[in-house]
Amino acid sequence: MKKVWAIILSTAMTISLLAGCGSKENSEPADAGSQQETQEQAESNEVAELDMSQKVKMGVLVSDATTAEALAFRSYYTEYIQNQYNVELVYSDELTDAAGETSAIDTFITNNCKAIISFSSFDRAAQLEQCEDAGVYYAVATGTLTAEEYETYKGYEHYVGAIGPSLDIEFETGYQMAKYYLDQGKTNFAIFGGAIPYYTEMHIYRAAGMLTAMVEAGGEGASYKGATDKDAIIGQIFADGAVETGAIGSINLAGYVGGYDMDDAWFGKCAQMAQTPDLEVILAVGNGSDFFGTAAGEGVKIASVDAYASSYGEAMEAGMLDYLAGKFSASIGPVFIASYRAALGSPVRDGEGNALALSQGYWVATSAEEFNTYFAVDSSVEAPAYTKEMLDTLLTADYEAFEKFVSQYSFEEIQAMK
Amino acid sequence: MNTNNNNIFTRIVKIAVIPVGTFLIVFLLCSLKGVKLFETTGNWILFFRAAASVMLVTFALSLNLNSGRFDFSIGSVALLSSVISASICNSAGLSTPVMLAVSMLAGTLFGMLSGAVYVIVKLPPIIVSLGVALFYEGLAFSITKGYGVSFVANKELTSFPSVVNYLLVIGIGLIVFIFLFDYTQFGYDYKALMSGQKVAVNTGIREIPNAIGCYTISGALMGVVGFISATNTGTIQMALNFGSIGTMFTAFLPMFIGGFIGRFCNEKIGYLLGAVTTAFISLMYARLNVDSSIQQIVTALILVGFLIYLNNENKILELVTLKNYINRRKNQ
Repeated sequence: MKKVWAIILSTAMTISLLAGCGSKENSEPADAGSQQETQEQAESNEVAELDMSQKVKMGVLVSDATTAEALAFRSYYTEYIQNQYNVELVYSDELTDAAGETSAIDTFITNNCKAIISFSSFDRAAQLEQCEDAGVYYAVATGTLTAEEYETYKGYEHYVGAIGPSLDIEFETGYQMAKYYLDQGKTNFAIFGGAIPYYTEMHIYRAAGMLTAMVEAGGEGASYKGATDKDAIIGQIFADGAVETGAIGSINLAGYVGGYDMDDAWFGKCAQMAQTPDLEVILAVGNGSDFFGTAAGEGVKIASVDAYASSYGEAMEAGMLDYLAGKFSASIGPVFIASYRAALGSPVRDGEGNALALSQGYWVATSAEEFNTYFAVDSSVEAPAYTKEMLDTLLTADYEAFEKFVSQYSFEEIQAMK
Repeated sequence: MNTNNNNIFTRIVKIAVIPVGTFLIVFLLCSLKGVKLFETTGNWILFFRAAASVMLVTFALSLNLNSGRFDFSIGSVALLSSVISASICNSAGLSTPVMLAVSMLAGTLFGMLSGAVYVIVKLPPIIVSLGVALFYEGLAFSITKGYGVSFVANKELTSFPSVVNYLLVIGIGLIVFIFLFDYTQFGYDYKALMSGQKVAVNTGIREIPNAIGCYTISGALMGVVGFISATNTGTIQMALNFGSIGTMFTAFLPMFIGGFIGRFCNEKIGYLLGAVTTAFISLMYARLNVDSSIQQIVTALILVGFLIYLNNENKILELVTLKNYINRRKNQ
């Protein structure tokens, strides 16, 4: 009898063992297992219940700690997100180079951070590789990888993804800004190129958007140094590391200043550009009103790209800022949720098991009233643009739902979601 | 009488050779490009602002550096004092002169504190000043919650930039500085300590109050520099991790030039002329829209070239004037 029981039991154990490993995925190599698992999750639209009882430590890499944009982002994370979720967000120092990024990631890893959200882009590839090797999740906030980079890293197990304005959105932001004034019949422009001399892509793309709009509005035969389309103009700016002044058909690009030297000569250049005779509009790829507001001649309009800070509201009230394309602070909420989910074992992947690559845009204010409406929501730490209730819907969302949520970034769309 | 006139003439030539020579070079370069050096009021304002600001930074830096105290914190004193004065005056709707006074007072206090820390902790001044710079930068960051101060819309506080106002700053600054260091007991003690501290102390001069006094005056000067910088654009950008140190480096070239010119006249006038020289260069950079990387290279070359000249002056003069050759010919 004992023998029979022994045979029955061992048979049952063998069957259950085989059943446990019996699916066709069994034949997959061990290192591809988790990727396959996430693929299955995405396909089945079923996300496991998240265990949020343990506090999750996450690192935040920053290369900028003093601009309005950086401070607004930090405030959203430390004063809202950290109070709503069981997380501890550890910030790096203000990083100035790739070596600093490596060192900061090492520190995060040593401090048992489960995920890293990066606002620093000196060497994204190195950051990604370092996190992958260490088994720490890595996400890009307020930016995106290039198409080439995404192809390389989209399948990395610990690459969460990137959510932020893509370079196409940056181009479009500059384009719409210039078009806004071209449609009003303005013909004399100056451009503040910000970090173009340092070959910062987003600034180059914004300037290229402005120039493309001018080429289109400049009439027949208009070109920027012979370039007439988006790609050629981007290539030209990359080649020069600057924007060249001159006629673009019927449009006059009367002035250009780049860099952030902040010395006497640089402020002199800024004042000189702002006081160019007959100048109508200063298009800034970054902060324009702070550098040109007091120097600009009567009636000169200033347009900026930055974030919603109170100083811009005052500048708009005083007529020193006319147009602001600003990132809203809560725009970094979805990338936090994606990283948080990954740290809790439920990363968001598309149907093929790839990491997130989602684009977001700006809120554009063209009057003080509009600015104040946006600012009231953006600066709130009780009811920001993306509240906990809204973000909670992403905790169980699949890739498509996540994508849909992020793509509805305009102020009106977000308010409608509430 | 003729010899006296010749001496005065020679001295004037030696005093003026660097600023006038720089002006001529700058003027020539601009003319070659078809650009007028002084075309608009804005160009004059830029020139006099740069001259005023650099002169005050040079005074503040030289004050301690000539006594062997390298002070990295002067930029942070300017930053913090301007943050305090701008925040108070912008929110309370106070006038520009009040902002200047508050900025100067704050600079005086922070300078004094900096000096006090130096004499209390007795560490090398480089280390102390680095620590103080970080502390003041952090304090400015905390006060403004990192946002800096923006008062671009405040017409009153941004009304200061004008040629007359900057000329007043230059004139008053120069007179007060000369008076303090050439006509007061404090100035005599300062010079005595500078030329031989041990002997000076043995004669009864108290070096600690003098050192604190130097830091205090340096702070007051930097308070004015912070005010000039803030009222220029109506914004104060934050600096962290020694970001404010750059202010100090603007004063090196004028300090060396001032040291050279100081052989033929009062050293403080030399510093002013050094500042005027750098203001001409800054204006040229702006007028010709010179790329910042080229600016840095040119400025570094000028600085290094000038230092090479100062260290090999006799040899270079012999070479240029063919002195050895003429002497040999005479001896033959």
